[in-house]
Amino acid sequence: MSVSRFLLRRLLLVVPLLVFIAFFTFMLTRLGGQDAAVLISGPNSTAEELDMIRAELGLDQPLLTQFWIYFSNAVQGDLGISWINNRPVLTDLLVRLPVTLELLFWGVGLGALIGIPVGLRAARDHNKRFDQIVRFFSLLGFSIPTYFLGLVMILVFFFYLGWSPPALGRISLMVSPPPSVTYSYLIDGIIAARWDVVQSAFSQLILPVIAMAIVASAPIIKQTRAIAMDVLASEYVRTSEAAGLSRRVIQKIVARNSMTPIITFIGTELTALIGTASVLEFIFAWGGMGQYGLQAIIHGDFAAVQGYVLALALFSVLVFVIIDLVVVLIEPRADLTA
Amino acid sequence: MTTTEVARVEADPTEYSLGRRIIGLARRSGTTTFGVIVVVVFGVVALIAPLVIPYDPIAIFTDRLLQPPSAEHWFGTDGNGMDVFSRVLYAARYAFGVAVPAVTISVLIGVPLGLLTGYRGGMFDEVTVRLMDSLRVFPLIVLALAVVAATGQSLLNVILIIGILDSPVFVRLVRAEVLQLRSSTFVEAAVATGNPVRRILFVHLLLNSTKGAMAQVAVRAAWAVRIMATLAFFGVGIEAPTPEWGSMIRQGAEFMATGQWWVGIFPGVALILLVLGFNMLGDGLQDLFDPRRRAEKR
Amino acid sequence: MQLSKLTGVLATSAAAGLLLAAAGAAPAVAKDNTLIIGAVFTPESLDGDINLPGTQNTVVQTYEGITRYGRTKNSQGEEILDSAVILPHLAESWSTSPDGKEVTFKLRRGVKGPSGNEMSADDWVWSWNKSFAQKRTGNFIARVSNVTTKAGSVEKIDDYTVKFHLDGPSSILLKALTLYTPSIYDSKITKDHATSDDPFATKWILKNTAGFGAYHMSELKPGEQAIFTANPNYFGDKPYFDRVVYRMVPSGASRLTLLRAGQVHIAENMTSQQLKELKKDPKVKVRFFPGRSVAAVRMNSKIKPFDDVRVRQAFNFATNKKTVIDTVFLGEGEPARSFVATFIDGGLSGAAPYPYNPAKAKALLAEAGYPNGLDVDLNYSDINAWEEPMAIQMQNILKASNIRVTPKRLTGSDMRARSHIKVQDIPFFTYEDGPIVLDSVYAAYLIAHGTGGVSNRTNLNVPRINELIDLARVELDQNKALAMMDELQKIWVEEAPWILTTFRAIGEAYTPKLKGFVSYPDNHERWSDLRFD
Repeated sequence: MSVSRFLLRRLLLVVPLLVFIAFFTFMLTRLGGQDAAVLISGPNSTAEELDMIRAELGLDQPLLTQFWIYFSNAVQGDLGISWINNRPVLTDLLVRLPVTLELLFWGVGLGALIGIPVGLRAARDHNKRFDQIVRFFSLLGFSIPTYFLGLVMILVFFFYLGWSPPALGRISLMVSPPPSVTYSYLIDGIIAARWDVVQSAFSQLILPVIAMAIVASAPIIKQTRAIAMDVLASEYVRTSEAAGLSRRVIQKIVARNSMTPIITFIGTELTALIGTASVLEFIFAWGGMGQYGLQAIIHGDFAAVQGYVLALALFSVLVFVIIDLVVVLIEPRADLTA
Repeated sequence: MTTTEVARVEADPTEYSLGRRIIGLARRSGTTTFGVIVVVVFGVVALIAPLVIPYDPIAIFTDRLLQPPSAEHWFGTDGNGMDVFSRVLYAARYAFGVAVPAVTISVLIGVPLGLLTGYRGGMFDEVTVRLMDSLRVFPLIVLALAVVAATGQSLLNVILIIGILDSPVFVRLVRAEVLQLRSSTFVEAAVATGNPVRRILFVHLLLNSTKGAMAQVAVRAAWAVRIMATLAFFGVGIEAPTPEWGSMIRQGAEFMATGQWWVGIFPGVALILLVLGFNMLGDGLQDLFDPRRRAEKR
Repeated sequence: MQLSKLTGVLATSAAAGLLLAAAGAAPAVAKDNTLIIGAVFTPESLDGDINLPGTQNTVVQTYEGITRYGRTKNSQGEEILDSAVILPHLAESWSTSPDGKEVTFKLRRGVKGPSGNEMSADDWVWSWNKSFAQKRTGNFIARVSNVTTKAGSVEKIDDYTVKFHLDGPSSILLKALTLYTPSIYDSKITKDHATSDDPFATKWILKNTAGFGAYHMSELKPGEQAIFTANPNYFGDKPYFDRVVYRMVPSGASRLTLLRAGQVHIAENMTSQQLKELKKDPKVKVRFFPGRSVAAVRMNSKIKPFDDVRVRQAFNFATNKKTVIDTVFLGEGEPARSFVATFIDGGLSGAAPYPYNPAKAKALLAEAGYPNGLDVDLNYSDINAWEEPMAIQMQNILKASNIRVTPKRLTGSDMRARSHIKVQDIPFFTYEDGPIVLDSVYAAYLIAHGTGGVSNRTNLNVPRINELIDLARVELDQNKALAMMDELQKIWVEEAPWILTTFRAIGEAYTPKLKGFVSYPDNHERWSDLRFD
């Protein structure tokens, strides 16, 4: 089967998943027995506004009809209006999405750059001192709540040591933002040769990125180690060792053969990691989608909550599809009919 | 021991009794032992907390707001004048009080469901697996937050929701084991000797396929404690002034910027310790029960 | 490159990064005429009639009143508002008809907005008609001032003359006209944005400003910041600050650290604990102003057990006010005698009512049919930082009188919605309402009136109180009005709809080089007053 046919088939399979996701987020406001109209249009709304919302959402109609209304609205890009700031949810999410992606990119990138080599080495020196220390730290990484890590880092590095700037977002209040090209202040600053922006954006990024990397590295190390150990035990590697290939070459073989499952794993882990990023955004006042969504949950802004959850799910689906595609492209032996 | 010596000892692990294996594991793995000790200590604390804490966890000392750690208040006092030490210890009850029922719910839902779908197969299996896989696109923490916020914030709700959201792990695990065992010889033998389907499921498969799931229990407990604290940190599910590590960190967060670190750090450390303990325990149990992991590779 | 080498490079880079960050941590120097405020919310509405988080703080800077308070100095030589003196502001002068039902204003000439349009009578008429149509805050202000609340009761006589038609004489009107609402809009601009569905352009007004005040909003990034620039055609003294950056920093701890680091000049909404901490810091100035709102715990007169006045009084006796002030407000607060602060003309003075007496509380409860005390839920929200600590302390304090309190959190919006005059279904809850007019009759109408009081929230409806308020509103003789207020407040205290805790002091935290802070009844400073030393 050719790549494009595979892709098509994969995308078709995604459609029922998308419908399910939409149904699930739709049900969020109908689960608790509270008036969905109040949840969505806010408790400050007048009786007329509530009636209007009820009519718009079809709340007096059977559930499936309501879902159809919700779904068709969503597909056309209408995710409702946040009653807290009176703006369309979709616009707010879209503006903030790149901000979250920037944090995710650097954080997971750093976590992988550190985690993969460490995991590989732990597998190689399996059960020796290094491995045992690594396993401990990996478990520790699983055990530290993200928000606590962020708070402690702010406490230590900003409050006590004064090494990092206050956690108030992506750029210092004193620096005016560069013209927006990529939505990343860091990159836009480089593009515009505004070194004050670059320095400020960079120093604001440090703590949240490191926190993100620490949390991300725990599962990456654990899984890399497990995958590499499987590869080490595989026929192919054992044969190569028996054939007398040098350690260096074996290491390269192991690394190369582990890459695909590792990348796949990181892809699936991104779902959880974007949740982590949201918490970090909240702590560091990052201004991304995660902070928006968590504030919405706390304040009961349910149109925004639905939009946020939907966005996260769509992101995950997209990542899964991309991972599948990447795997297919770099592993020609993979069975496309699977 | 060097790797080769271990390899020889472990050459045929099934020959050793469970007891021998546990001791061997404990000797080999300091982390698992540590995990067991931590969980047991916290468990004991949770049980006897009301007897050993110096103060009532919600007693207010109006003349001692936000005092740093001292002889009278080992962990200091918080913004409302409550003793942090007593609250940190007492909060262990909530940690176990949520984790244990939640994980039990996950097991009670997940294991039978996994057995059923694994054995039955077919459409039922397909649909269940697809449904569960679909849920994986939502980050667990956000999902828990959103659902609890939407359905009303009671402790019971929190336990139920954590329990339900965590059950797919068990379904998957048990199902995988069942699929593996379905084609194994002793199940074929059981069928051949005419045992009715029900008995096959519940007697043979239950025992053999749930081993891996049991090892997961500790890991899921770690998650339950974590999620519970996260919910409380965001102000969802726990009411003031209940002593719970997450809500204590929530209060502590505001005070960290003004230098009163003890309000948030002590509950945070306690939380990390217990979660770590469960994780280590889970790691050790997985080593114990998973045949692949036990065997040496080189 | 070998992976382990890569890790090494990364570690070095991270270290270098931290060093770079340290360099970035030093505050850059801002332009001297820009004021930077660390705020809780960016304004979610710029419509003075639709009061959402962040609205009052900003709307008062862009829309100014027809009148204003005079200024005087307090005992420490600091400038304060003089509630006894009313001066013209957007108006130049006024005259009242003999029966008090018509007040004619002459508009000040040469009042221009940023676009250059001059204020005229058309603007006043349009603006008041908008408030009448919306039937919200502005309409309430009109009603409490006895202005006939329908279109046309504010009448244009000529381009610079406007006549207000009242239902009866009003003792409150001139003071109420100091307010930012009903806002006076530049109607030449707002009319452009009107549609047939939205004849008063409320959608546009929600997100934009078009006023004659010292500032106008030049940029709004919701959830991030709003930027205000000085009105180049402002009729008053040119403000020191050309630009005000109103930056949203949701975490109080962050606002505090930003203020300390010199990156914001004012930090909004600091908690008592944070203010106490900031007081110690020489880089920060903390000032407390007497508050005019009670941080009250309220009881709903229509819901059991609070439908019995003895229960309400018992709860008052059961509360140790001093403990509340010390623990929740760290000593910064004045015990409340009634709902009007003592420093406002007509506020009850004398000893604080209901001294702490658990024995008396228990006796009253027994009398009311609760010999074993009772169990209640206390609802609080995140609207004010003091609410949660208050709920926790109340739980502790009321125990001694056999009252078992369970604190229960509501979202701020739920709290506002359920305590709204049309709903009023919460039995026992924390709330803070402050009269934004320094007038006791206004405060009484707002808080104690049984049918008109939008801040009543507890179903209090005492005929004699209503009667006294209605009489006082039209009583132009100050002494008679004060006597009525006296009687009214005494009855109100007897009725005990609130646990009279304290008028909490309002703490402001700002950089020491900022001068010109004057406290206003809405608790918001005016940026046009401020300057750097």
